[in-house]
Order: sequence, then C-alpha cells, then structure tokens
Amino acid sequence: MMVLVPERARTPLILSAIAALVAVLGAVGGPTVQRVAVLALVSIVFVAGLSTFSANSGIMSFGHVAFMALGAYTAAFLTIPAPLKATLFTQLPEPLAFLRDVQSSFVVAVVVGGLVAAVLGLATAPAIARLTGLQSGIATLAILMVVYNVLSSWTSVTRGSSSMIGIPQATTLWAALGFAVAAIAVAWAYHSSRSGLQLRASREDYWSSVASGVAVGRHRATAWVLSAFLCGAAGALYACFVTSFNVSAFFLSATFGFIVMVVLGGYLSLSGAVLGAAVVSVLQEVLRRFQDGQFTGGSALPAGVADLLLAGVLLFVLIKFPLGLMGARELGLRRRRASVKQKEPVEA
Amino acid sequence: MIVDYIVSALGLGALYALLTIGVALLFGVLGLMNFAYGEIILAAAFALYFFRDAPWLFAVAMAVVFAVAVALLSERLAFHPLRGADPVTLMIASFAVSLALQSVARMTVLPRAQGVPPQDFLAQRVDILGARVSVRDLVTLVLCGLVLVAVAYLMGRTSLGVQLRAAAENFQMAESLGVKGNRVIASAFVIAGVLAAVGAVVLVTRQGAVSAQMGLQPMLIGVIGAVLGGMSSLRGAALGGFILGVGTATLEALLPSDLIAFRDAFLFTALIGVLVVRPQGLLSGSKVRVS
Repeated sequence: MMVLVPERARTPLILSAIAALVAVLGAVGGPTVQRVAVLALVSIVFVAGLSTFSANSGIMSFGHVAFMALGAYTAAFLTIPAPLKATLFTQLPEPLAFLRDVQSSFVVAVVVGGLVAAVLGLATAPAIARLTGLQSGIATLAILMVVYNVLSSWTSVTRGSSSMIGIPQATTLWAALGFAVAAIAVAWAYHSSRSGLQLRASREDYWSSVASGVAVGRHRATAWVLSAFLCGAAGALYACFVTSFNVSAFFLSATFGFIVMVVLGGYLSLSGAVLGAAVVSVLQEVLRRFQDGQFTGGSALPAGVADLLLAGVLLFVLIKFPLGLMGARELGLRRRRASVKQKEPVEA
Repeated sequence: MIVDYIVSALGLGALYALLTIGVALLFGVLGLMNFAYGEIILAAAFALYFFRDAPWLFAVAMAVVFAVAVALLSERLAFHPLRGADPVTLMIASFAVSLALQSVARMTVLPRAQGVPPQDFLAQRVDILGARVSVRDLVTLVLCGLVLVAVAYLMGRTSLGVQLRAAAENFQMAESLGVKGNRVIASAFVIAGVLAAVGAVVLVTRQGAVSAQMGLQPMLIGVIGAVLGGMSSLRGAALGGFILGVGTATLEALLPSDLIAFRDAFLFTALIGVLVVRPQGLLSGSKVRVS
C-alpha cells in the first residue's frame, strides 16, 4: 500500500485532539477541574516520553520518574527568584555556586530540564542498550533508586527531604496543552522514523532483526535518551505548575501511577499511553474524591482506599487484557488483518 | 571491637541471605520477581506488634501464620490467574499487589508507625573472647543460620525439595512426570512466607517499630541479593545476599559519616554494573539453574 501523508499524520492529530479535549474540559470546569486537566496534560507529556522508549522497544521501564525528578529540580533552580534562592541554598558547594544567580524564562527552563534529564539518559544508555526483560526492569528501577537516594540525601543542593518552594507558577492550561501536543509530535516523529521502525522490528523478533542488520543497542539508546528528554520536560512542567514539591513525589507511588496509565492503555502503543494518561488522571481524581467521602455522604474513608482501588484496577487489566485497551495498535491506522494477535500490523 | 564487627557482619549477611532466598525461590519456580515480598514481611511484623504482650514464642508463631496466610492469599488472588505470563507482567502485577497490601495495612491497622518494645533478653550483652557482643546480634546470627541450614536440607534432601527444583528447571516437564504443579507452587509460597516471618522477627527486634512502609527495604535487599548471586540459583542467591550483608556492614563501618547517606546509591550503581557485565549474576555459571 502506498504511504499516504494524511494517514501518517492521522494518529498525532487524533491524540492532539484528545489533549485539546482535556484542556477544554479544564477551561470550562472550575479551578479543581482545571488543576486535574493540567496534571493530566503533564502526564500526557510524561507518557509520550515513556512510550517513546517502551512502546517501540517493548521493554518496560520503572525508572523514568527519575528523569522527571531531574527535570523538576532543574526547573526549580532556573526559575526560583534569585533573592529567595540565596536564603534557600546557603551551603551550595563551590562548583555549583553559579546556580544561585542563574535565571531563565519558563520555556527555557522546560527545555533545559529535559536536556539535564537527557544527560542522565546518555550516561545510562550503555546499560539499557544491553539489557532486556526482567534485567532491564530491575536496572531501570535501580536508576530510580540511585537518583532518589542522591536527591534525598544531598541536602546542601537539593534540600534533602525538605520541599523545594517558591517556584513561580508558569504552567498554564494552554502552555501545558502546547507542550503536550509538542511531546505527542516528537514521540510520533520518532515512532515513524527509520530508527523507530527498526526498534519495533527488534521488539517483534529480536534475533531476526539482528540478522537483518538492525543495530538494536544503538536504536534502544536513541529512544532511551529521547524519552529521557521528554520525561525531564514533563518534570519541569510539573514543578512550574505545583510551585513547591518534595522529593517523595518522584518515587514509587508516582512510578506506579504512570505504570497504571501505560498498562491500562496498552504499553506497546503511543495512543494507548495517551488515552491511559487521560483516563487514569480522571480515575485518580474520582477515587480521591471517593476517599474524601464526596460520594458516601461526606464521611471520609481511611487513607489508602484510592491506592487500593487503583491497584485492583491494574491487576484486573493485567489479568483480563494484558496488552491494555489498545494492544499494539495506534488510533487512526487501519489494521491489515483482524487475526493479528499481539503483533503490530504493518504500517508503512 | 573486631569480634563485635564479625558477629554483626555475619548476622547481617545471614539475614540478607534469608531475605534473598525468599525472593529467589519464587523467581526460580514461577519466574516471579515478587515486589510484594516486603508486604509479606509486613504481615509478620504486624503479628509481632499485635501480640507484643503475649509470650515471645507465641508471637513468633503467629507471625509465621500471618505471613504464610498473606503469601498464599496473594498467590490465589493475583499470581494464580497470571500463571505463564511473562516475567515483566508478573513484576508489574506484584507491584500492584504490594501497593494493595500496603494500602490495606495503612487503612486498617497501621496508619502510622507503631513501636514494639524489645524483649528484655535481647537488649543484653555477653562477653565473648573479651568483647561485649549484643545478644540481639547473636540471636540474628543463630536464628538466620539455623533457618538457612533448614532450607538447604529441605531443598537438597526431601521429596518436596526435589520437586521444587524440578519445577524450577522445567515446569512443564516436571508436571508431565507427576509433579503436582499447584502444590509445588503453593509450597514455594509457604516457604517464602516462613522465611519472610523469620526475617520480620529479626527486623522488628532490630528496628523496634513496625510501619506500613517497612517492607520496602528488605524487599529491595532480597532483589539486589538475588540479582547479584544469579537469579535462578538458590545457592548463588544465598551467597549473593550474604556478600551483600557483609558488604553493607563493612561499608557502614568504613565509609566516612557524610557518605553513609549515599550508601544505597553506591549499592544500586554496583547493581547496574553487575547487570551490564554479567546479566546472569556474579556467582552463577553460564547455565542458569536452581540447585
């Protein structure tokens, strides 16, 4: 079949429309709804990054929240007003003292946040390129552990377990939408690139792809660094929205939330990840209200009910639909054969 | 000083070996890297807190009962329907089980950390070779050592042990030769539960408190030790855990105090290094097997 340009652009357009729908719902709803919408859009940026790696390579990552953390801390250093920084960070070690005076605009902070995360991605890429399956899962988790440990213990730079405060709020609803659309475009550009196609070939059949001359490790590393950049940008957006955050926001429960999103939607598909992010963001908010007692006549339920129900949803999806809502399909692309199971239909 | 260090390093090594075996056993038989292992330990620790005024041995017995019950329940509800799924799916599922159990604990019985008063006899010190060694460290060493010997006997000399090893080697072949798959898997969970309970007894006496998050650290230790030692070889895993424990005790004795906070970062960096250089684990041969 001939490659038609409109068909190639269809998936990112549909996904951007979903993001726009989230934004419009946020704009017409009250402040609470708007907050949920912005966080959902930030999540869309994150899962677009995560699925750049895991959808194309077929390797699940438990460590991408580490990139988000780096992005958030970078954005905090770049945007907290200088006088406040002077009082917050009195004991900065000498090589990092310049951080007290740097100052940048919001957009620059987001890009630099992504770049700093990409540097960590570059440093860890050689390990990721070599590993698959369970080993890779544990290695990515180990990356998260290292970053978390350093962030929570390096008190003179990161304030340790104290919160980062005083970040000016710059992530508006429309800014978040803009970045979400950009992230979807970047993720789709990689998906349709030569490297993305070769990486998906290695996902379907590792040895055949190697035999056909695909340099699997190199493509994995490329996808890994690109996804680190997007997740770092998501972290910066998050920091510039919540204005103060704690290192505990970037650990296992955040990881779990994003895993629910991509598994529910289908972790082999960008569309699945974006859909999952939108659906789970709403679900989390509903569960939070349920826990606060808004549906049970005002009597608050014990803390933990929301997490328990979310875990239940994830287990149910894993047991009944191991590949999620979308499987390996993408919205807007026709499937060639209805009988293809667990295999991605040929697209190009 | 030296005797003191040796006893505490060996004790920590034995404890970590114990935790590691619990993780490695389930991985060998089911391909399950069980993140919910920490919550099995939590169940046992809760029993110790709940029966803190009862005689110590009774509390320990109840800890074993609680841990085994939670282990079997998680198998039945979550891992049984997923039998045969790939290891990463199982790992995500165990992540969910872990969070669910932790939430249940936080909702019902442990909204915040609770102190467990230490037993009097554990707080004493005795003279060995002129050094004052704490009874706590000695009990850790003896208890964990005994359990390790018992596991070695069980796996090596009994019919159940042979069946477990056969199932780990090749589940389908073992089943077609008459090994009852469901029974073997259930008994693997029971053994993991007992190991978790013993681990919990030691951990609670060391920390003097229980909390909903207490399972994370021992679970991570089990996973790191298992990866270090080679994930499918029980003997290698035990050795990996032991080395990890002795290494941790040594790091704590030698690292300057401002770097101790970064101990975990060193450990996990080393773990990534091991995975890259020898994905099959430091101590296992090229052929991965359980023995």
